[in-house]
Amino acid sequence: MADKVKTVAEVVSTIPDGSHIALGGFAINRGCIAVAHELIRQQKKNLTLSQGVVGLDTDLLVGAGLVSRLIMGGGSLDRFGPVHCVNRARETRSVDAHDYSSLTICFRYLAGALGLSFIPVKSLLSSEVLERLEAGSAAKDVKRMKCPFTGEEYLLLRALNPDVSFVHVQIADHEGNSQIHGARWENEEQAKAGRRVIVITEELVPTEYIQRYPEQTIIPAHRVEAVIHQPFGAHPTAVFQCYDFDADHLRLYVNHSKRAETFPEYVKTYISGTKDHWEYLEKVGGLRRMNELKADRILGY
Amino acid sequence: MPEARPTEIMAAAGAREIRDGEVVVVGIGLPWVACVLAKRTHAPRLTFLLEIGVMNAEPKDTPVGVADPRNFYRATSWTSFRDVMGMSLQRGVVDVGFLGALEIDGFGNLNTTLLKDEFGNIRYFNGSAGGNDTASLAKRVIVIMRHNKRKLRHVLAHLTSPGFVGGRSRRELGLRGDGPHRLITDNAVIGFDPDTHAATLVSLHPIVRLEDVLENTGFPLHVPRDVPPTPLPNSEEIRLLRDEIDPDGIYLS
Repeated sequence: MADKVKTVAEVVSTIPDGSHIALGGFAINRGCIAVAHELIRQQKKNLTLSQGVVGLDTDLLVGAGLVSRLIMGGGSLDRFGPVHCVNRARETRSVDAHDYSSLTICFRYLAGALGLSFIPVKSLLSSEVLERLEAGSAAKDVKRMKCPFTGEEYLLLRALNPDVSFVHVQIADHEGNSQIHGARWENEEQAKAGRRVIVITEELVPTEYIQRYPEQTIIPAHRVEAVIHQPFGAHPTAVFQCYDFDADHLRLYVNHSKRAETFPEYVKTYISGTKDHWEYLEKVGGLRRMNELKADRILGY
Repeated sequence: MPEARPTEIMAAAGAREIRDGEVVVVGIGLPWVACVLAKRTHAPRLTFLLEIGVMNAEPKDTPVGVADPRNFYRATSWTSFRDVMGMSLQRGVVDVGFLGALEIDGFGNLNTTLLKDEFGNIRYFNGSAGGNDTASLAKRVIVIMRHNKRKLRHVLAHLTSPGFVGGRSRRELGLRGDGPHRLITDNAVIGFDPDTHAATLVSLHPIVRLEDVLENTGFPLHVPRDVPPTPLPNSEEIRLLRDEIDPDGIYLS
């Protein structure tokens, strides 16, 4: 079988400017940080990003000016603060943001993953969230309709098929069979809606291991184009059963991200000033720090 | 008995709104604290769902957010938005949606998206996430937030999650859930009139005066003739909150 293992730099170099990228992080958990960093190093432009609840991965890309459109259900960095870069970009209108909700983003991906062109849903009705979508550039993606069988009012959502979906997982084999431990929000739908699917894995395992626990495979090999093996690739966000979020680094990040003037210093120090994710990990504390963050086997964080 | 802090009164009042055996979708913050308190006291058979796909976890440490892996510990299921928000919430089997908000109006509509200053400048916040879905679809919605005129408003800066929009019924609005049931603040417990859907005082916390509450409320609040005091948390509830549920005061301080 094919060995699909590639470096993050190789994968990112194949992504054209203007692509629609779906990221699999949620706030401060399983963020696609190694990918976000590499997109910034390679200075990709004019990206559309979609995500259920945007987190650190999206905040980095918006802060670095790579993003022109956001399709999102919400977002924060939990108790560490809001997604300052995203919020600031919206306030200054430097991104066109389409606001949905968790379920409606998930359903747009689900339709895409099922090969449907639209899907009905019972939320967002009678809200300003929907009115704003209908009044802006997202008007082509939403439509109200009555059920032809019952007459009940529905919102129809256009399917979302990202050009490239990235998901950070705990375990994958060389062919791309990927296993996610803990909650997985919209990752399955987001991955399977993608025209290209890339997984970033903490651990690369033999297929024999996947065959022992096949019920845990969320994204199967035949949908996966490439596997990026990057331990601590989601730092400073958490990966359940692998490592906790790095609270010190998240505070440092927010101290930079809360003002437009200080954010470039973060990018320069930790991203453009490092040649790859290994060098980034050295800069944020290296093996000693990563060992401190390593998950307790019982607690999983 | 130790004196209860306002946040502890809120958490205990919130917990009392939950009945044993119910299914609840919980937002992080005080909603989480109130539901954990309910589960540890009178509602041990509570089904406790997080939008990201966690069922019935028993966190050992206080989570800092909904996707904090502390929330995954001892769960009975790890699943997804599609499952929790689709196959439980939209399916119609969630009894209670328990939410926080930046602003609420007198018909229980919620804003979690943005605030405007006096010059019309906009500041963005977290947006809906699962908030709109929960408010649209749960059988009853309980909201917990601080009480002041900037938060309890006549007109919202943005209507993120619908209650009884414009005083209309949920059926007229095309929404399945029965809508807002309680607003719990650090001053009072507020309900919504079954006919007019207007905000109505249910009980007043014994730490505040009615005239101050009315002064701090930005929407018209109906005050019935008899308004009982909100029961204060008992010493066991205070102990659970301070020693076990949020010992570092992440949400209660």
